[in-house]
Amino acid sequence: MEDPDSTAQLPLPSLPDNSTARVIRLHPRGGAKSLGNAATTAKDAGSDHCRSDQQTTNRQTASKRNCLWYALYFPQLGELNKPQQEKYLHELAGLVQSVSSTVSFHPLTLICEIRSSLKYFAGIDVIHNKLKQQLGAQLSAWDLANDFLYAASPTVTASLLLARSGRNTLVYQKENLRSALGKLPTEVLDLDKEQRRRLYNMGVRHLSDIWRLPGDGLRKRFGSNFVNQLNKALGKVPEPTRNYLPPPAFATSCELPYELENLDRLLPLADEMLAQLCDFLRRRDLATSHLLFSLSHERRSSTKIELGLRQASRSQEHLMLLLETRFSNLTIPAPVSTIKVEAKNFDAFSGHSDSLLITGKPATRRYNDSKLSQFIEQLQSRLGEHHVKRVNNLAEHCPEYASQQFNLNSLNDAEKNKPVTTEQAASNPRPFWLLQDPVQLTLRKGKLYHRKTISLVSGPERIETYWWSGSNIRRDYYVAREANGSRLWIYREKGVEKNWYLHGFFA
Amino acid sequence: MTTIRNHDQPQAGYKNLPADKACGHTTHIDTLLHSNPNLWRGVDMAGQGCHGHSTGFPQLDNILPGRGWPHKGLMEIITPHWGMGELQLLIPLMRSIVEQGQWILWISPPYLLYAPALIQAGINTDQVLLVKLDTSCKDALWSMEKALQTENCGLVLAWQNWLPNKVLRRLQLAADVGNTLGVLFKHHDSEHSPSLMRLKIGDSLPSEGQFNESEVTLIKARGNFRPLTARVNFYQQT
Repeated sequence: MEDPDSTAQLPLPSLPDNSTARVIRLHPRGGAKSLGNAATTAKDAGSDHCRSDQQTTNRQTASKRNCLWYALYFPQLGELNKPQQEKYLHELAGLVQSVSSTVSFHPLTLICEIRSSLKYFAGIDVIHNKLKQQLGAQLSAWDLANDFLYAASPTVTASLLLARSGRNTLVYQKENLRSALGKLPTEVLDLDKEQRRRLYNMGVRHLSDIWRLPGDGLRKRFGSNFVNQLNKALGKVPEPTRNYLPPPAFATSCELPYELENLDRLLPLADEMLAQLCDFLRRRDLATSHLLFSLSHERRSSTKIELGLRQASRSQEHLMLLLETRFSNLTIPAPVSTIKVEAKNFDAFSGHSDSLLITGKPATRRYNDSKLSQFIEQLQSRLGEHHVKRVNNLAEHCPEYASQQFNLNSLNDAEKNKPVTTEQAASNPRPFWLLQDPVQLTLRKGKLYHRKTISLVSGPERIETYWWSGSNIRRDYYVAREANGSRLWIYREKGVEKNWYLHGFFA
Repeated sequence: MTTIRNHDQPQAGYKNLPADKACGHTTHIDTLLHSNPNLWRGVDMAGQGCHGHSTGFPQLDNILPGRGWPHKGLMEIITPHWGMGELQLLIPLMRSIVEQGQWILWISPPYLLYAPALIQAGINTDQVLLVKLDTSCKDALWSMEKALQTENCGLVLAWQNWLPNKVLRRLQLAADVGNTLGVLFKHHDSEHSPSLMRLKIGDSLPSEGQFNESEVTLIKARGNFRPLTARVNFYQQT
């Protein structure tokens, strides 16, 4: 690693000499005045940022003063589309977390704080090798080039710029930033085309050329963003970052002191575990919509119980009710030795608040949906998700396809089909019951016969469709009346055979 | 159940009241009596009160106590086959329940429920929930009981034959708790059933002129003492 930092050749940078001053500065947090004074005393002589309106600024830069930001630049991700880049960066950030707890996102770059982990890992080279191994394996698993550019420096932006330049530089001291950055070409800066052109025309090729220019003139010509970027790189202004938060995960297990055969006796234990889960969810302001219980047995594969919720919830009573319902018709192959709970999907919690005043008359009021969805979940957990259905009307000419049954949870699919569904049904009468397979009717003495003789009431309604798909549907539909009083929906095929079929009951 | 003598002698029933007051307020007493569905009066059977959901069929309203469907409880509709007009009978009820924002649960219907017909009948399919036919009888009854106990399900329709009276009583109690109306469709009448109401839809009459009308027999209804029969044309629209 090339190191322009002449004063800091030490592999393990201990606290710098001015640390005492820094400690004094951070202590009197309560008194704004004393903070301002302390900042003044501790500030470098050249700095002109010690006005009292920038106290917070100073405090932040002061606390970050001792940081070392390690930037990892992945130019190979640039070929991917934005969402994929984000997804990959998130996964890489998860890996980088093994060396640092502060990982932030930047375009094509991850930056982590490693000063605090230097001692633990015994040097930056160890950290680098560790990351190179892990990230390389992950990148090659995605069929991408498995190397990355890196740099470390006391400010986030400087690390970013150094990493972009591809020189793999390491700068320990803030004082050396100016000279280290000065060697970089101006291409590493975030500039638009116009700014780039103007810089080029001014004869500015490297950042050191910019250092020579007056600050207020630069601000006038290139805007404050440009100057801020440089100030951030030099550590003169604070650098807020968006940090990586690991996705929430909850799993807990409990080993029973002795094996239990009776599921009812597991319930108090499960209740306790659910209480833990709900506590976790409350603290993070989340709700869960998918829970996995697994009951493990000795010498048998464990029993898995999945609880899916229509609406994410964190109510312990509700989850417990669902679990009890599932337990009530569950048979286990062997006594239970361990019980495990895992929350799989997390959603933002959306609370429901009742209004103080009664709105509208009870007859016209829309019923509260949460109670109903609790009931539906209970149904689903007892009967299985595929046994509870909804029906939907489709704009479809062929009678068999005009009605659709779908699962409740595939509500999103139904939304997708929305353009096809209509509230408008056919204008001709349609029966309540449709037979899955039409029943062929018999003809006796010139009269149609099903259970009793049939006579036609109205019709025909001709339906001709699907000629393009090979199964040519050509039917004449009639409303018919059976001698016992029931109404039938029958049709006659228009093909060669001209058979009569029963297709539905008006009921 | 309380029986009060008819209002031709109002003073006899209310001796404690001053005579002139009781005389002057006969109509008030009448309205009071009519307003309470739990009060059974031996005379003037079907004429008492109008506290039910209207069925939409005037002939049927005339024979039902309260002039319409009850608001809660278990009803049995007995038909020799499925598809004798039993759903046509309930369309106005279903429509009003959906308009109130409540849901209709269909438990193991014998055939495919056809959505276009629901739309034609003015029933919003978003408020219709189905439990499929291949559910076991035990699970179907469990869901029916739970649904009856839930207030948001306004109407629970179930197709089950051969249920013992014990089960029917449980369902009836559940419907009382949840303030819901449950309808059981079956092929056979069971005597001494604890349900609130039993209706039988018979074969329509063979004579050609009356062909459109089916015979609906009210076998039993709470507040009624003898079977009554009405002729209803289910397919008025067609």
